[in-house]
Amino acid sequence: MKGRNLLLIAILAVISLVYLFPIYWTVVTSLKTSTEVFTRPPVFFPSQITLSNFFVSVDVFRAVSQTAVGSIPWMIDSTIIAVLATLISTFLIAAPAAYALVRFIRNVWLARLILFMTMIPEAVFVVPFFIIDAKLGLLNTWWGLILVYISFSAPFSTWLLMGFFNDVPKSVEEAAQIDGLSPYQIFYRVSLRLVTPGIIAAVILSFISCWNELLYALVITFSPFPSGSQTVPLFLTSFIIVEKSFNWGGLAAAGIFTMLPTMIMGIFAQRYLARGLTLGSVKG
Amino acid sequence: MSEVVVEGVTKKYGKNVVLDNISLKIDAKEYFVLLGPSGSGKTTLLRLVAGLEEITSGAIYIGGKKVNDLLPKERNVAMVFQNYALYPHMNVFENIALPLRVRGMTKADTARKVKEVAETLHIQALLEKKPKQISGGEQQRVALARALVRDPTVFLLDEPLSNLDAKLRVEARAFLKRLQKDVGITTIFVTHDQAEATTMATRIAVLNKGKIAQVDDPYMLYARPNDVFTAGFVGSPSMNLVHGVAQRLGDQWEFRNDDISVGLGRVHFDKDTKVTLGVRPEQLTVSRVGSGLAGSVSNVELLGSISYVTVAVGKTSLTIQLTGRPDLEIGDEARVGIRPEGVLLFDDDSGRRVGSQEN
Amino acid sequence: MHQGQTLKVGLVLASPIIVYFAAFFLYPLLNLLQNAFTSTSGSFTLANFQSMLSDPILSVSLSNTAYYFVGSVALEYSVGFVVAVILYAYTGRLKSVFRTIIFLPLMVSPVVIGLMWLLILNTNYGPLDYILSPFGLGTVNWLGSQSLAMPSLILANTWEYSPFVFLIIYAGLQTVPPHLYEAASVDGLSRFETFRYITLPSIRPSIVVAFLLNAIGVLKGFDLIYVLTNGGPGFSTYILSFYTYVVGFSFFETHYAAAIALLFLAIIGTFVFAMLRFTSVEEYLGLRRGKGE
Repeated sequence: MKGRNLLLIAILAVISLVYLFPIYWTVVTSLKTSTEVFTRPPVFFPSQITLSNFFVSVDVFRAVSQTAVGSIPWMIDSTIIAVLATLISTFLIAAPAAYALVRFIRNVWLARLILFMTMIPEAVFVVPFFIIDAKLGLLNTWWGLILVYISFSAPFSTWLLMGFFNDVPKSVEEAAQIDGLSPYQIFYRVSLRLVTPGIIAAVILSFISCWNELLYALVITFSPFPSGSQTVPLFLTSFIIVEKSFNWGGLAAAGIFTMLPTMIMGIFAQRYLARGLTLGSVKG
Repeated sequence: MSEVVVEGVTKKYGKNVVLDNISLKIDAKEYFVLLGPSGSGKTTLLRLVAGLEEITSGAIYIGGKKVNDLLPKERNVAMVFQNYALYPHMNVFENIALPLRVRGMTKADTARKVKEVAETLHIQALLEKKPKQISGGEQQRVALARALVRDPTVFLLDEPLSNLDAKLRVEARAFLKRLQKDVGITTIFVTHDQAEATTMATRIAVLNKGKIAQVDDPYMLYARPNDVFTAGFVGSPSMNLVHGVAQRLGDQWEFRNDDISVGLGRVHFDKDTKVTLGVRPEQLTVSRVGSGLAGSVSNVELLGSISYVTVAVGKTSLTIQLTGRPDLEIGDEARVGIRPEGVLLFDDDSGRRVGSQEN
Repeated sequence: MHQGQTLKVGLVLASPIIVYFAAFFLYPLLNLLQNAFTSTSGSFTLANFQSMLSDPILSVSLSNTAYYFVGSVALEYSVGFVVAVILYAYTGRLKSVFRTIIFLPLMVSPVVIGLMWLLILNTNYGPLDYILSPFGLGTVNWLGSQSLAMPSLILANTWEYSPFVFLIIYAGLQTVPPHLYEAASVDGLSRFETFRYITLPSIRPSIVVAFLLNAIGVLKGFDLIYVLTNGGPGFSTYILSFYTYVVGFSFFETHYAAAIALLFLAIIGTFVFAMLRFTSVEEYLGLRRGKGE
């Protein structure tokens, strides 16, 4: 047993190295001086560390911005958009819909439709969504993206919450009925309170996917706060396009800096992720 | 003002008939029990009175008023569920207070009423705790408190004792009975445990497969069951039931099957009839010698002051109750005597009790 | 609950999603259908679909997609599966440490993942060349050569996605009741036999779900390609999702783009259909057989 475990630890250590390496490499690159960045053979353990990459000023499409600090306008957009989209999607749209589907409209095809909607690729609806936003005058605005982001956030959150609502014991809801609560009161004061882990999982996953989204932002926005609503992924892609050939330190620093919020959320949310991502019970 | 009348109530789920034309009258302040095995429809009937399910046909009246289309909250009933269904995210005080707050009672009045009820049920010390922090017996009393705090017209209980361990269950039975008497509220209680039913009820309705078998007080159900189902269901250990034929023998009738024959005294029949003979263990005697039916002992159970001896007479098995220790062992030859006044006959076709002259 | 009231309450609660659905699903779908079947002058035509048959970029995209799909799913599914089994077999205090590390790629945004691999795959200064140099490779133009661009993408995608497969298989492994293993050891099964005859059948649902979700996820992928190769060099990393975007926003051919979008939707639809056959929605809704008392 012990010997077998040691072998497994060794294998797992190698696996861990592989998964850690890209992150490590990027962190290290962000801390290297440029002399150590552009060397052959590559330097794995830098002799000098600098934080200057995080603060070097950079020309991004002729709007002067700096790494780290410079990404702040985009971070503001991402935060506002992700927060609003998540709140609206989870509490206004997904939670009531999930509860309705599980307790009142128990239709199998509608549930399948929800599942289907979680799997539609972004590229399919990108043109129609652009057209809708253009018609509503919402291009390059926060609401332009918020409304569109609900299209992937709401179905997923609904599906996730359906499972949780299903686990709420009916007898507690019936007791509430007898105690005199209306169905809406039961939803708001009883059932919703009993699916808190599901809500947390939905909120975290929704926030992360809104923060990371690229395609819709690419198409719908073209400048950051305060004139527009470009999000962090766009900051990074512009940065990459411009700096791909030379300012790697800055590039790495930008990546690390903008990655921190979601990574912290992700580590915190690990407990809730496992239950939520195994989409639904499966027949054997 | 708080009688419950069930009139011709039928409940179907699709084609499945769960309750078939049930009619009952429950008097005010009665402790009425719905008794039956699982699948008999007893819980469904309770839920129909509560308003948690819709009646397919028929009517239910509470306090003289027809309640078919009324929501549970409009019927002023209170219910205790089998698993108590307390609100897990609220503490005991809030659990009991919720029905009052929903009706718009002020915080001060609510607090007063909750404390009153808590004292009646001896749970004052638990008010700050959450349901998962208290024991099963305490949870049950909280559920009772939540139900009683609203001064409901009717009190509905769905097998509330089945989640308790044996000792608690006996205490809870006594507690509930006393409580109901003190509060004086019409109570409908569902259970599958016939001992629970007979110890607590003023009257019992025995349900079998969606139909009422018999409605009577506990003693009558025991002594004068109307049909073979009730006879076999009520009483523990159950009544001995033996299949056979009632035949004429000279100018008397007798019960006969392959193994035994029993004279039936003054009983008459129109013709030979297939019947089931029922006799309770305490109406039988057994000994080594004598003139009774001959058989051999197949089982002996000692229960302290009483014992049960099972004797196989051919293929027919009879269980006899004795006081004290029997001097019989498995395998012994024995003779079984039947006290004629304890014999009941049930027609095999209809299940109903037949052939007696006095009831 | 009374029937009439039930439906009404359900509809009220579901009204936000119904409204949203009409505006952001039905309307776009109708828009796509309308555009796909009309020409720029507005008349009904099937020309958009006919053009698909003679479109060289589309056929390249489709074959690239197949290449990407098979390569990615094969690699990341096997890796994810194996890692899940290995971690499951390991019993020790470091278990959650390893699990957190394996989860890391899931927490990094795809654009940043692209950025990371851009640094690693660099021709002159990237570490990947160097690490593989014992195999006599010298400097390799990973992202710049037509033959290596796709494998590089597959590699990066594997790093990104294998933890997802791992997650599902690992979760499935956790649901196997331990007493099955106890019974197996009492019956004298070897570790391999136990795995083959007990573990694998027990996690069959997870195996299928992981595969289908992996497949759908790979097909949807866009961010990685945009960042790492932007479809190049040439058209060697054009895949269907990318091409759909290009037709709409580089060529600005709205009608043709709609046709391609519908094609894409149909392809995904077949996988989702397969997925639905393996997912029991009924249990999820709490619909079970037999109502009794």
